[in-house]
Amino acid sequence: MGNKDYAILDGKKAISVDKLITLISFILLLIIVVIPIFMIVFNTFFSQTGNTWKFELSMFIRQMTDTKNLAAMWNTIVIAFFATIFGTIMGVFYAWLLGRSDIPAKGLMRALFNIPYMFPPFLGAMAWDMLLNSRSGYLNRFLMQTFNLSKMPFEINSVWGIIFVEVSYFFPFVFMQVVSSLERMDPTLEECARIAGASQGTVIRKITLPLMKPAISAGALLILTSSLAHFGVPSILGYAKRIYTLPTRIYAIIYNAGGNFQGIREGAALSVMLVIVVSLALVLQNIILSSGSYDIIKGKSMRPTLIKLRGAKIPLFILSIFTLILIVVVPLVMIVLMSFLKAYGLPLSVSNFTFEQYERVLFRGGGTVDAIKNSLFVSVTAGIVCMFLGTLIAYVVQKIKPKGKGALEVLSMLPYAIPGTVLSIGVILAWSGGIFGINLYNTIWIILVAYLARYLSFSMKTSSAALLQVNNSLEEAARACGASHSESLSDITLPLIRPAMVSGFFLIFLPAMREVTTSILLYGPYTRTLGVQIYSLREAGMIPQAAALATVTIGLIVVLNTIVNQITKDRKGV
Amino acid sequence: MGDQIVLRNVTKRFSTKTMGDIVAVDNFNINVKEGECFSFLGPSGCGKSTTLRMIAGFEDLSEGEIELCGQLVSSKSKNLYVPPEKRGLGMVFQAFAVWPHMNVFENVAFPLRIQKVNNMDINQKVAEALKHTSLTGLEKVYPSELSGGQQQRIALARAIVTNPKVMLLDEPLSNLDPKLRESMRFEIKALQRKFNFTIIFVTHDQSEAMAISDRMMVCDMGKIMQIDTPENLYNKPVNRFVHNFLGESTFVEVVIKDGKVYPKGHMDQNININIPSNASNEMVIATRPNEISLTKETDGFKTHIEKRTFLTDRTEYLVPIGGQLLKVQTPHRIRFEQNEECFIKFVEPMWYEADDKEAEKERHKRQLI
Amino acid sequence: MANVKFENVSVSYGKKQVLKNFSLEVNSGEILCLVGPSGCGKTTLVRALLGLSKPDTGRISIGDRVLYDDEKRINVPAEKRNIGIVFQDYAVWPHMTVLENVMYPLRKRKVPKDEIKSRATKALEMVHMVEYANHLPSQLSGGQQQRVAIARAIVVDSDVLVMDEPITNLDAKLREEMLIEIRMLQKRLGATILYITHDQQSALQLCDKLAIMQKDGSLCQYGTDDQIILNPANRFTFEFIGNSNFIPVIEQAGKVYLDCGDKFLYEGETPSGVSLNGKDLAVRLNDVVFDNSSNIKAKVTSRIFLGNEYDYFLTIGNKEIRVEQAMLDAKEHGVVNEGDTVGIKFLNPHFYEREEV
Repeated sequence: MGNKDYAILDGKKAISVDKLITLISFILLLIIVVIPIFMIVFNTFFSQTGNTWKFELSMFIRQMTDTKNLAAMWNTIVIAFFATIFGTIMGVFYAWLLGRSDIPAKGLMRALFNIPYMFPPFLGAMAWDMLLNSRSGYLNRFLMQTFNLSKMPFEINSVWGIIFVEVSYFFPFVFMQVVSSLERMDPTLEECARIAGASQGTVIRKITLPLMKPAISAGALLILTSSLAHFGVPSILGYAKRIYTLPTRIYAIIYNAGGNFQGIREGAALSVMLVIVVSLALVLQNIILSSGSYDIIKGKSMRPTLIKLRGAKIPLFILSIFTLILIVVVPLVMIVLMSFLKAYGLPLSVSNFTFEQYERVLFRGGGTVDAIKNSLFVSVTAGIVCMFLGTLIAYVVQKIKPKGKGALEVLSMLPYAIPGTVLSIGVILAWSGGIFGINLYNTIWIILVAYLARYLSFSMKTSSAALLQVNNSLEEAARACGASHSESLSDITLPLIRPAMVSGFFLIFLPAMREVTTSILLYGPYTRTLGVQIYSLREAGMIPQAAALATVTIGLIVVLNTIVNQITKDRKGV
Repeated sequence: MGDQIVLRNVTKRFSTKTMGDIVAVDNFNINVKEGECFSFLGPSGCGKSTTLRMIAGFEDLSEGEIELCGQLVSSKSKNLYVPPEKRGLGMVFQAFAVWPHMNVFENVAFPLRIQKVNNMDINQKVAEALKHTSLTGLEKVYPSELSGGQQQRIALARAIVTNPKVMLLDEPLSNLDPKLRESMRFEIKALQRKFNFTIIFVTHDQSEAMAISDRMMVCDMGKIMQIDTPENLYNKPVNRFVHNFLGESTFVEVVIKDGKVYPKGHMDQNININIPSNASNEMVIATRPNEISLTKETDGFKTHIEKRTFLTDRTEYLVPIGGQLLKVQTPHRIRFEQNEECFIKFVEPMWYEADDKEAEKERHKRQLI
Repeated sequence: MANVKFENVSVSYGKKQVLKNFSLEVNSGEILCLVGPSGCGKTTLVRALLGLSKPDTGRISIGDRVLYDDEKRINVPAEKRNIGIVFQDYAVWPHMTVLENVMYPLRKRKVPKDEIKSRATKALEMVHMVEYANHLPSQLSGGQQQRVAIARAIVVDSDVLVMDEPITNLDAKLREEMLIEIRMLQKRLGATILYITHDQQSALQLCDKLAIMQKDGSLCQYGTDDQIILNPANRFTFEFIGNSNFIPVIEQAGKVYLDCGDKFLYEGETPSGVSLNGKDLAVRLNDVVFDNSSNIKAKVTSRIFLGNEYDYFLTIGNKEIRVEQAMLDAKEHGVVNEGDTVGIKFLNPHFYEREEV
């Protein structure tokens, strides 16, 4: 019994309302998602001579066999593999510690463990580069002096350095999934294993961990795909030593091409390669971790019995605190300290501190203020447009349920699985004169289009979940009270999902504010975003300035996050 | 037959943030005999689940000691605590708690694998347990594909496979639909006969408790109210709470004057009934709606039918008795029309002191925690 | 208030026909309880009445207003039908306060502003919810939310109130209270109510008229509660309304025998002028009584004490029957024991066609 009935009963008018919404959804997804993806594939395999397009495999094969590209692919795989393994282990370990044991200061630690999640990883990479690069890293120098070493003890500009930084920013994916799953688990599942004669250790191995498997693998999958597609950390840490991953290699090719179309095509071919790697990884993960989702949640709320750590309590507590300091506090402090430094390389002492960097960045031109404005503009616009568009598509999928709703769902979720770098190439190919002669290149609009594609699935997901909660009877009750179909939509359904739409907006706005991956390929002289600006300042060697702007960004994120939490705390509706 | 489960002066205190200290279990003394089916019955917050969890070893004691099969397993004074896995119990939970990542066979085999039983014995014992719970043939199936009733049977099979002496059942039937609940009751009894274990059965459903138990304990607000056989509890409840909790009750407030019983406030017609020797002036007569004789013969308290309602298998009449409404239920074949004259007689009712509103308030408060 | 009439209404979902030529009338100012097992098409009927799904054929009217008629191609849209509805899941809008919820139907009907508030408050008074006017539904219990839903349904003078399992989500004690309130409300408003439920008990407590629906979507009996209790029209109704025993009987040489392996002469009531061959004797569990003067002998296989009654299983020949002995009877006449052989009598028997299981 779907709402199809309404259409028949409402006569012609309603048929057009529902059909119109459906049609609009399809057209918009076509423009935003399908065309860019199509353009990548098309340009990889077809070349233009004069006015005719011709199928051509050679360019793709050339790219696939290029040793530099293969090396980049290998690095991508190695980094993603180890980041996933270590990130998962770390996530599960701390999730269990905070979710099930009697370790002290849980609330505080939990809040701190979530910080890396809202923190842009490329800022972390910047901080670690300042601390541990092998030429002049502050921590390296300090350790060398203290322990009288003959050379720098750590080298962050390496594959292992990249893995380390990625792990510290990606492990919350697993951590958060597993913690919430642990908390909702029916404690009697563990208790009856005790009754059956199993000791505490056996229960963890045989019952708890297997039951957490779906949550663990969902989190691990997020780490894997994020790492494969990740641009920020490898680009900041890898360039110095010419260590490339596929996303940074694509960036280098496009950058070096300097707008040359052949270069962009090569980038497209490499993008196809990256998509293939991501897809293979997904398939592989599916084979290794094939598991259904269990219903381990029961309605009855019970406090799970906490496991006493006894003698291990203090060492484990110290370990947790140490981890937190290492991954949260150290990079943050480093960036802030750096932002006050007169010049990079000077000792970190008060006599070298100054506010000059902030002044330079914020008040002496150089495009920073424009970058902030640009970022605000694209983030707010993308947030608003995606919020409505995502809701529209969610409504079509959840309530109208037309033929082809599956396709609609897949299309809107697709960009989520496609690396941002790849998406940018598609957007470049599609909207720099490629289609209908529309040329948005070097304008802010091209960044906006890329953001729309990238973030649409975020709002679509939250609105979908909210719409599922809106029982059909709520709309039906309105109909019986004398409201027409469109009135029941505007009076009942829309207000009910408004809070979800708002949080959908912030889910997009916040990451968009600090985005680098897509904008770095799309920015023009006047359309730098905040992320791009920090990145360029650093590239240009103005590291303290980059740090100052990074500090400002972090401040902004913290403030915005607090506001969001306040808003979403007392929302009414579903 | 000796006592298999003994609770001596068992007390459990919790400290809560909002209500301060709460005595969840107040000085419980219980002896459960070998092979007995013993129920803990009471409203939520009465202490029955906490008591069961103390027997299982999931909660420690604030005072007292617990003995299982002649062996001390928990003792506050001796600072003794045997963990749940060493108590050799079987237990079944309300939410089934079958492990979704194991198939039926592995679920049932788990306790044996922990005991390092060899594979041949495991196969044989699991087959036996599955046979007695009508699960044979479902060995390879995962719990999510099975119905609630079947999942609860897995839990039962898993509990009996090690042949425990004591079986703890924590509201095992509450998540099942009424029809299934009734048939599972018989199955549990059949398993008990076959495997010879002692049952502690926790429930808030009085009819379930009465149908299954040899003896039962009714508790309220952390205190034991009464321990007895179902028939004695139902027919001779020690107080009004137990009376009300064990089945539909109907009460008449009465005054006794010059050796005659009158409905309170209406002295024009007396109720012809024997007065217990210890009765004070104001009492409450308690009885059950279907234990009141309702006739057309001019014998008994004369009144009329105020309201008639059909229930599915009985007819319910509301009958005024001196300003109070009495609920009477009869088979459909005994028929009265609205406002028809009738006569009522009480058959062996219970007498209680006029009631206490404070207890009701206290109960409400505890249920909120 | 007016009567509601379904005439030969057929509804199907896809290829599945749920209702076929269904006819029923709800009299003006009465509560009709439509009872049937879940999945029999009750909700489909409600949706057709509300205009939320479209019948294939037939006619639905309230008073002299036709809502749907396939021949005349009339189909009044849901918002114009003027029916108050109370759903099982309350369907109270969570983003509006209690008062706003109740004012909404008045707003949609363009009632003058000053009148809206007073009428809404009056409706809330009826359901004892005035003091919660400014609460949000999330601050209310299930029972209170259902009261708000009722107030919203009665605030406009609907021609008819439809209640679709309104108390099913409430706990037992609250269900009882709500039934009484619905009844009192109906009396005060003189409303016509179509009350849908799968629960025979609440239907019996509430109804003026009962309509019993069968699994296949057909109507199997319509009447007052005592008509249905005392004269169930067929085996389905008898079985649906309460627990029962069915015992095969045969008629030989003018005498009636219970046919359960052995034959027992049956000397109780029989209907006159009908052959009992191929029929079952149907009897309620509490209409089987112990009487050692009876020549029908049964063996007691088990006795369980259930509080209100003793529940026995007896075998007569190869047939197992269940008996409930009320406590009053047990106190006055004593109980029988497991293993005893006892005489039994059947009171109030009915005879229905045998059904092969």
